[in-house]
Amino acid sequence: MSSINETDRPVVARRAAILYGAIALVSLIGLTDAIYLTVEHLSGRSVRCTITSGCSEVLSSEYATVRGYPLAALGAVAYFTVFSLATLAAFGYRGLGKLLLPLVAVMFLTTLWLLYLQAFVIHHFCQYCLLSALVTTVLTVLVAVSSKPVRVK
Amino acid sequence: MKRILPFVIIAVVLGGGLLTARYLQGASTETPKLSPSPNASPNASAEASVVAPNEPGAEPSHALGDAKAPVTLEEFGDFECPPCGMLHPVLKGIETEYGPQKVRIVFREFPLVPNHVHALAAARAAEAAGLQGKFWEMHDLIYEHQKDWHEAFDVRPIFDGYAKSIGLDMKQFTEESASEIVERRIFLDGKRAHSLGVSGTPTVFLNGKEVPFQSLAPDKLKPLINAELAAHQ
Repeated sequence: MSSINETDRPVVARRAAILYGAIALVSLIGLTDAIYLTVEHLSGRSVRCTITSGCSEVLSSEYATVRGYPLAALGAVAYFTVFSLATLAAFGYRGLGKLLLPLVAVMFLTTLWLLYLQAFVIHHFCQYCLLSALVTTVLTVLVAVSSKPVRVK
Repeated sequence: MKRILPFVIIAVVLGGGLLTARYLQGASTETPKLSPSPNASPNASAEASVVAPNEPGAEPSHALGDAKAPVTLEEFGDFECPPCGMLHPVLKGIETEYGPQKVRIVFREFPLVPNHVHALAAARAAEAAGLQGKFWEMHDLIYEHQKDWHEAFDVRPIFDGYAKSIGLDMKQFTEESASEIVERRIFLDGKRAHSLGVSGTPTVFLNGKEVPFQSLAPDKLKPLINAELAAHQ
């Protein structure tokens, strides 16, 4: 990181706090979506074929679970971890903010894999899974920006 | 205070998340009380029998097992629906394990069109086979080969192949697949499904009571059947 003189510190800190706050808020959308998908999966509602749902094929596929656990539940844990780290970082625990980059990178790669599966293997898209993909993409951009070295004139 | 505030926020979100999950789960597991199938056992619970009767569905229904069997499983199925395909071996196993004296299995057509483009053609093929007394043979073939045909552009030659393999009169099968009698049977089963509040497949009723989807796994369905059998002994 480039050197920052004492007068610039509050500006840099404010920028970082805003970015981490935004990451926390966006991750809440992902967390809500993942909780909804997990409950749908566990209750079997979307796993059934219904007249209106487009998620049945996706959530009943073999890719919807990892060693018996719903993938959506792992997503919920990931979003909650992002939320916790971003909140702590926004309140001055800056070291924890550095953990966001590898975590979100893994989430983004997983998202790309899941989009590939929906498009080319399952041949069906689930709107809640697409919302999750959008949230992860926005998180990746925000985390990438927050990790960028700050240059203050 | 500022040092502990983020932990408070995280704890609030965690609690809120768990409460939301609990609320959503509660909302999804509420199953309405439904009136019994006319094909259900005459021993069906008195509580259910006071509810007004629903649409009877196509008659005669496709049923495996004794009409006096103490347990009737009535499935509303869509041949193209993957979870229905997964339920097929489960019900087959139950049929073999319990036998026709104890468990009766009824199949009702509930093709989810337009979501499943070939579901109606599959239902017609099964019903047309039924008119030649081979409904279950066709039913089994269509489910067992679900992955082979559900992405096909034209499924008719595939279903014709199944019809040939079970020895159907092909001229009759082709004519009846598009006949009004087949159409009407599917319509009547659909009417029964709607009268029972069925909105998805597979939906299974055990002696007139809807079995929650998550209880359709063999390890969960068998205890329910055993409980019904024990209650009727």
